[in-house]
Parts: sequence; structure tokens; C-alpha cells
Amino acid sequence: MEEEKKAEKRDNKNDQIIWSWGAGTEGQLGTNKLQDELLPQLIHQPSLSSVSHLACGGAHVIALTSGGKVVSWGRGNSGQLGQGEVVNNSLYPKIVTSLDAYFITHVSAGWSYSAFVSDNGCLFTCGDGSFGQLGHGDYTSHCTPFEVSFFANQHVVQVACGMRHSLVLLKDGSQNQVYGFGSGKRGQLGVSKYKIKSINLPEVVRAFEYAEIVQIAANGDHSAALSADGHLYTWGRGFKGFEDVHSPQRLNSSLNFSKATLGWNHALALTGEGEVYMLGGNHLGVLSDHQSMNRAKQIPVDSREANLEKVPGLDGIKISDIATGSEHSVIVTDNGEIKTWGWGEHGQLGLGDTSDQISPITVNCGHDLNEATSIRVYCGSGFTFALTMA
Amino acid sequence: MSYDDVEIEDMEWNQELQAYTYPCPCGDLFQITKEDLKLGEEIARCPSCSLYITVIYNIEDFLQDSHNPIQPSKQQSLSVA
Ligand SMILES: [Zn+2]
Repeated sequence: MEEEKKAEKRDNKNDQIIWSWGAGTEGQLGTNKLQDELLPQLIHQPSLSSVSHLACGGAHVIALTSGGKVVSWGRGNSGQLGQGEVVNNSLYPKIVTSLDAYFITHVSAGWSYSAFVSDNGCLFTCGDGSFGQLGHGDYTSHCTPFEVSFFANQHVVQVACGMRHSLVLLKDGSQNQVYGFGSGKRGQLGVSKYKIKSINLPEVVRAFEYAEIVQIAANGDHSAALSADGHLYTWGRGFKGFEDVHSPQRLNSSLNFSKATLGWNHALALTGEGEVYMLGGNHLGVLSDHQSMNRAKQIPVDSREANLEKVPGLDGIKISDIATGSEHSVIVTDNGEIKTWGWGEHGQLGLGDTSDQISPITVNCGHDLNEATSIRVYCGSGFTFALTMA
Repeated sequence: MSYDDVEIEDMEWNQELQAYTYPCPCGDLFQITKEDLKLGEEIARCPSCSLYITVIYNIEDFLQDSHNPIQPSKQQSLSVA
């Protein structure tokens, strides 16, 4: 009896723990309910085990398991769940069976569409295609993942989906390693210095002749890329008070960045030393600060480094992971604490209320975590997921 | 305070809602009807949160011919192809 109990306890310790909170009226929290949650909810879903990566969109979630399988739930009215049918919302995580023949290695969720990359370098997309963001050469939507034939002879490794545009990263660091397609009005495709309304076939982003790109990001009308030597490039809609830029601009900074994530008006960048910086300033602090932000004067692109600021209140605490919702931010400290700030109206900060926060506040997950356990965080537009990694 | 200024051509006509819509950062949609636009209303609200956007449009486009309103972005994109 005693032995059994001990064994059970140990098993639980090794099991992956998943929490979610925030906007939930489309079933995106995986709680089997259609309601917002102001505090972290423990997720119990048998179909969700050994999740290796989550991608959260406007109101849907794509989970990748360590076995290369894909599971989806939440809003499905544009076919973004890839389940072969259009559903208003799916409360229970379901396997995307049409990808069963592939070992999926990377997934991304946009506002109302999704993308999947297989280990052999194929790219699949589904959901809303009205802006060409699926890359199939038309403006058709699909409710089943459909291979992007443009990349048939190339090896895709990453995809990033924003509100209405997509970025793709190819395997070898050649000159033609990053592609963009979909809506381009704010410069977010980075494929031309001229204003492009939209393109429905991938076009190369010609800015990385001398850089090896290792990570791409897209959200809202923003795009970003990170190079192997730690430089951050951004393009698309200008961050607070800055002009839109139509080709990737390298951030003028001596910092060595290891990860970057984007919101709809801000970006977070993590350095190799575990420091976290924010681009775009306190837009959300500013949501409650009525005067200063609207119609701010347009600052020329050259002075953008002035826009980069260290996230306050961390006092030398090292950060191990970062995530950004449309208007909120989430970080994980290396001693396993989750901290959030930004817009809180739907409980996306997980602090038990709907208040906004202008600096990081610790979330209580109600769990005593083993210090060795690492935590990863992921944000959809108005919601947040956290999970423990083995 | 308006969350953003959005041109009507960047909004999508939603048949089900009978409204022009644009993504709201909460996950729902900002919405404004043709009737609102004809009245000169320029605020599109989100039914799920406190945020709203300012819609940039030309009221004449909506007053002239109610059977042929300006094309939402979906159709415009199609013509690009
Ligand atoms: Zn909203």
C-alpha cells in the first residue's frame, strides 16, 4: 500500500503539467468550458500527453506531441483546426488525422489559420486564406492541412503565422532562406520596398545575404527574425510611434539575443544571459494612460534602439522563457516562477482579476514545482498556456 | 481611447454578423454595420471587451447605392490574383 502510494506520487511528478488562463469563450483554454478564467487552470486531457510545443492563435490552439502528432482545439470557424470540417468551436483536443502519415516537427497558429512543418521539410497550411496567407496561389480557405507546393523541392524548418501573413524559414542558411506571403500592407512581408496589398504565393525576403537566420516570428502585422550571431531584425507595422518598415531592419544593439516573440504592438527579446528586453514600450500600460499614445509623431527608423528597454523590476533574476499575446507578456524565471504584465481584461495575466499591469507580477499556479522542472509559456491573442517539460 | 485606426478596406464583410469586422486583440471581432456607417458612425466595438477602433471610410461610399457598397477586402484581394 505504502509502496503503491509512493510510486503513484513519483509518476505524477514526471507527468507533464499543463495550465491555461485568460479568454476562453471559444474553448481555447482546453478546460472543456466556454468561459474566461482569471487564474491558472490545470488541464486534464487524455489526448494531451508529452506536448513538446504549443502554438496559440486568435482563439485556437495547435499542440505538437513529442511523437510528431498534432492536436487542435478552440475556434474552428475558418477551418483553422485542420479537422476536415468547419466547426464553431471544439471543446476537446482532437488529433489532426490527415497529418498522420507525417512526423510534424513545427507548428504555428495565426489569427484564424494554422501551419505545420514535417521532418522531411514539407509545409502544410489550413484555415482562412482570404489574404493569401496559406500560400497556395489563391485566396481559398481550407479545413484540412494542404501542402504548400511552392516549397515541394525545398526543406522548410519553421513557419510563423501572424494576423494575416506568414513567414517561412528554409533549412540551409543560403541567401534565400526566409519567405513571406499573405497580407503585406504594413510591410510585414519584407519582400518589396513598395506597398503590397497581398500576395498568395511565397516570395523571398531579400535581406539576409550575410546572416544565418535561426528563428522567425510573426504576430499582428509585425515580423521578426533572429540570426545565429544574436542579431534581431524586425519589419512590418512600426512599434509605438514608429513608421512601418517594408524590409528587415537590424536592431542597433550590442546585445546577443536568443529568442524573440511578437505581440500586436510590442516585442520581447531574450538575451543569452537571461535578460529580457521590450520593443514598443508600455503600449498596454498605455491602454490605461489615455493621453500619450494616440497619433504619436512618427519617429524615423534610425533611432529605433531608443525604443528598446529592459523589462523593469526583475533585479537580475534570470529569465528562461518568454511569450507574448496580442497585448500581454509572459516570462519564466530560472527558478520556475511565471510572471505576467500588460492587458488583463480577460484574465490573460492569470492574477485572479481583470486589471492591467505595467510591470511583471508573479502568477500563483498553486503547485510546488520541482526546481529542476523547466517551464515553457505560450500566448494566444488573449490567453496563456504554461507547461512543464520533462 | 481608440485601440487603432483601421481603413474600411482592411475590414472584412461578415455575412453571418451582417457587419464589417476586424480582429480584436481579445480574440473576438470589432464590428460595425452598414447602417452605422451610413449614419456617420466611425467607432467599431468588440462585443467581448471594452476596446474599440476608429474606422476610416468615406461616408459617400455608403450613402449612394445601398445595393452596391464598397467591396470588402476579400473581394479586393481576389482581383489582385
Ligand atoms: Zn475584444
